[in-house]
Amino acid sequence: MSSYVPELSSIEGLKRIEEFDRDQMAGLCLEETHAVYPHQQIYGKYCTIEEYINCPPEDVFQYLADGRSLEEWTWSTRDFVPTDEPGLMMGWDRLADDTKIYCRTISNADAMTVDYHCAWDQGEHLWMIYLMRVVPAQLVLGKPGSVVLWSNCHHPNYDENPYPWSVPEGRDTWVGQLWHFFYAGHVVEMQNLKKILEHRHATGQTIRPWNKSAGSESEKTMTFQ
Amino acid sequence: MIGISLKAVATAFPETVQPNDFFGMEGSRPQGGMFRGSEYRHHMDPGQSAVDLICEATQKIQEQVGGDLASEIDIILTNVSLPDLPFTGCGAEVAKELGAKPMWVYDLHSQGCVSFISMMSLAQSLMTTSSARKALICNVQTTAGRIFSDEQIRKLPQSAVPGDGCGVALLEVGDERPVEHIVTQCFSENASDMEIATQDGRDWWLPGKTQFFVNFSREKVAAVVARGNRLVPEVVHQACTEAGIGTDQIGTLITNQPNQIFLRNWREALQVSESQHVDTFSEHGNLFGAGMPVCIERAEQEGKLKGDSYLVLGGFSHAGDYAAAAIIRCKAAA
Repeated sequence: MSSYVPELSSIEGLKRIEEFDRDQMAGLCLEETHAVYPHQQIYGKYCTIEEYINCPPEDVFQYLADGRSLEEWTWSTRDFVPTDEPGLMMGWDRLADDTKIYCRTISNADAMTVDYHCAWDQGEHLWMIYLMRVVPAQLVLGKPGSVVLWSNCHHPNYDENPYPWSVPEGRDTWVGQLWHFFYAGHVVEMQNLKKILEHRHATGQTIRPWNKSAGSESEKTMTFQ
Repeated sequence: MIGISLKAVATAFPETVQPNDFFGMEGSRPQGGMFRGSEYRHHMDPGQSAVDLICEATQKIQEQVGGDLASEIDIILTNVSLPDLPFTGCGAEVAKELGAKPMWVYDLHSQGCVSFISMMSLAQSLMTTSSARKALICNVQTTAGRIFSDEQIRKLPQSAVPGDGCGVALLEVGDERPVEHIVTQCFSENASDMEIATQDGRDWWLPGKTQFFVNFSREKVAAVVARGNRLVPEVVHQACTEAGIGTDQIGTLITNQPNQIFLRNWREALQVSESQHVDTFSEHGNLFGAGMPVCIERAEQEGKLKGDSYLVLGGFSHAGDYAAAAIIRCKAAA
């Protein structure tokens, strides 16, 4: 491994302990640690939030991985129906008038990641991507339950809608105008997610009540201890 | 509580000034981080006393206010970081040198960098419960010359930070420049985090061949940075709220002066501009408790304390064991 180090030294700007010692690192850390950070600096390019949910990680993952759950925990997306394209759902985002939202849910059970690939108005280019990851809280917080990480990236389409033909007549709102409120809005939705899942887990109810055939047994096929 | 005013402030400094290259190891002078912006600092000279500096500053106050100040001083409060003498403190000696006959003399050992505010609060309490009308509050930082100039200790990176100096304020009953509100807090959970260390591990008061010093490990620095970043904006917010003003009404902000990173962080957190925040770090280093009165004098000299504006003081001490803030209203000339 050490044979690679000389090659790294030709890359400008790397800060590694071989050339950037403890005192330099300590000074840099002090310099870069502020008491407060402007909202734009923290949430301008990316918006990441996180929350602890007192519900087993496999249940949280199963719930999120089933796109129908969006109708419960999001503030405004409702009435999803399948489209002709397999895996692609179409619903309505009541955030704005007459606004369709398309969503494809792509999940990975091993990594417990759930990505919602979405777009307003049209379903051909799903560029609004909600990246979620469920982490067993036992691993990272030393207690039962889940940690949910949720990130969005500021795609240029938030700034300018490249599909103006798809906008319903009379709608002035564009989703990107609300990027500045994504942190606040997503915190609201994360709290919905937390309250729903913690309630169902605490009261022993099935996590996905619309999924009559599956039941809780199949939801507990994975264990994380 | 009886209304008190910040009547006058003056300072005094030792003659010896040390530049950055006095410190550190050969080839590794302090730079960046907590040393950012440091250029000079005063060092107490051998044989020089805190009493000398207090009397020099008080003489300047006498010249500002006229009259016979010594005969009118009812209270003398001092905070000296490393006292001239253990046991006694220096308040009585100050009274002797000034020819004053105060009814109260207290040498405060605690509160460090916020002791100026704590002493204002104590003076107000004493004035409220007695016939005392005038108080001298005296801050002297002495550790730079007395500890950190040692030829071994000055090789440590933190030795360039402290600077010696003295600030004295005259408080009096009245509303000429009223102290509107004071908040003082103690966080006992942080009380054991500042250590006096010795190179040979002995207790600092035991005889030995090497100087003792204040120890900051990297882990401690990270914890203290986090505390300082949080405590000072919080206590200033609290003082402003309780005084009925918004932080956007801060005219001049004066904090303790541990380093320029803290100063930057505090004004960012309080949304106070750089020009509103007094900064003496580059020429004086960390003056500990003397920082606030020294900065008040600087603000006066620069014409910052305009009529109908609020002077807000805030800070934390040591490793976060105390925090305090004060709101002072500067009135327009009648």
